[in-house]
Amino acid sequence: MLPRRSLARRMWSSTGMPLAAIIVLLGLAESAKYFGVLPVFLPSPSQVAAEVVDNPALLGNVASTAYKAASGYGIAATVAVGAAAIAVLVRPLYGSIYNLGVGIHAVPIIATAPLLALWLGVGPQVQITIAALASQFPMLVGTMQGLQSADAQQRELMHVLSATRAQMLRFLLLPSALPYLFAGFKIAAPSAILGAVTAEWAGADRGVGAMMLYALFSYDTPKVWLAVLITCLMAAGGYGFWALVEHVAIYWDRDVEIAE
Amino acid sequence: MVFAGRGEPVVALDKVDLHLPPSRFGSIIGPSGCGKSTLLRLIADVMQPTAGIVRLGGATPAAARRDYAFGFVFQSPTLLPWRNVHENISLPVEIAGRTRAQRPPRSAEELIDLVGLQGFEKALPHQLSGGMQQRVAIARALALEPDVLLLDEPFGALDEITRQRMNLELLRIWAESGTTALLVTHSIAEAVFMADQVHIMSARPGRITAVVDVPLPRPRTLAMMRSSVFFDCVNRVRDGLFGRDEACTPGSVQPVEVY
Repeated sequence: MLPRRSLARRMWSSTGMPLAAIIVLLGLAESAKYFGVLPVFLPSPSQVAAEVVDNPALLGNVASTAYKAASGYGIAATVAVGAAAIAVLVRPLYGSIYNLGVGIHAVPIIATAPLLALWLGVGPQVQITIAALASQFPMLVGTMQGLQSADAQQRELMHVLSATRAQMLRFLLLPSALPYLFAGFKIAAPSAILGAVTAEWAGADRGVGAMMLYALFSYDTPKVWLAVLITCLMAAGGYGFWALVEHVAIYWDRDVEIAE
Repeated sequence: MVFAGRGEPVVALDKVDLHLPPSRFGSIIGPSGCGKSTLLRLIADVMQPTAGIVRLGGATPAAARRDYAFGFVFQSPTLLPWRNVHENISLPVEIAGRTRAQRPPRSAEELIDLVGLQGFEKALPHQLSGGMQQRVAIARALALEPDVLLLDEPFGALDEITRQRMNLELLRIWAESGTTALLVTHSIAEAVFMADQVHIMSARPGRITAVVDVPLPRPRTLAMMRSSVFFDCVNRVRDGLFGRDEACTPGSVQPVEVY
């Protein structure tokens, strides 16, 4: 264990320092733009910020993308956890389910989105589907690994206690899977946002991706940057949400980290 | 017991003839890889023998297991890390169900007192020392008042001082619980000090080569480890493990290891 530092110092290094770095960088960018050092297509931070103010459609776009990403993510989570459970319980299917997950993960979204739009029609269902396809793999792998993470002696213990399969699942397999599950959920959250935004490029009337595309076509670079920034924030926010849930839920073990 | 490995099948256990009277304490000693742990797992119905039979007072291991007749203490504590001490100890009762178990379960509070963990009921396993974790494991093994307590090198990972203390406590707990106990160990002194009978095993293939009766009275005390009866038993176990000639080669005076 590291020596305990004072609360003020920890707050500074976890929040204060990154915040200060961002402010300094923004100040540098602002002054660089002011003195004409930056190219035309790179707006100053204040120009990007101004886009927030006179943009009545912004909130609707963010909400639309968030809704599509969350729906796709929810569907992917349900299917992935279910498929992983089947893979672990029915051994002969393990390889097929895993390979299917890899295959879907390897599909280039940018090319499939227009095809899906042809099949599914234009509407949020395309973006929801893409968000689900883009985010399923980490959750599938996390659940598959997690359900197998109980060690041999813990399994023997449950056997000696004559636990039923359901009890085995409830008392041992599910709790020991949780750290892996959360790791997968964390990594998958940004993928759902990015998947939804990418899918919106293939045709959507609302959403951050649509806003990004319209701004691009009208050479509105500050708005493009705003859309990029919002996408980053949403993706990071999805990750942060699950990191927080994980921190609260896994009170017994802070060791398992597939990705920090 | 034959294991089908990658190449030739491995005969892990060959001729094992072990009889332990009820309410006695038996120990099994042998070199690494002689199948001590496998033997324990055959008794507990974790594995099934390729040939031969295991009976517990007439019952098959599978029937005994379904009757919650076993308490198993593993090499590592094998606690569920998300459950606190009280919850870990109550796990067997939760699984068996209070009404379903034929035997009246001991209360978790009683067990916590028995292993001396008062005040740590709410502690999580990672907050406990190795010795305390193993106490929880012992309490858990006793939760359903088992007929047979199987101990697979329970204190192997502990330091000598803690181990000595834990052994004395284990004997006290065993005497109070009145179960039959079978202890697998690497230590000659421990095997003798704890048991009424020491079963000596040899490796490849694993078999029981000799049984040494320990006539020391109960309750055992540390002072008995200085008695001639104790030394005599230790020497007989050593002879059983290494052969008489080797042990008595002139010039190689082997001191008694008191673990």
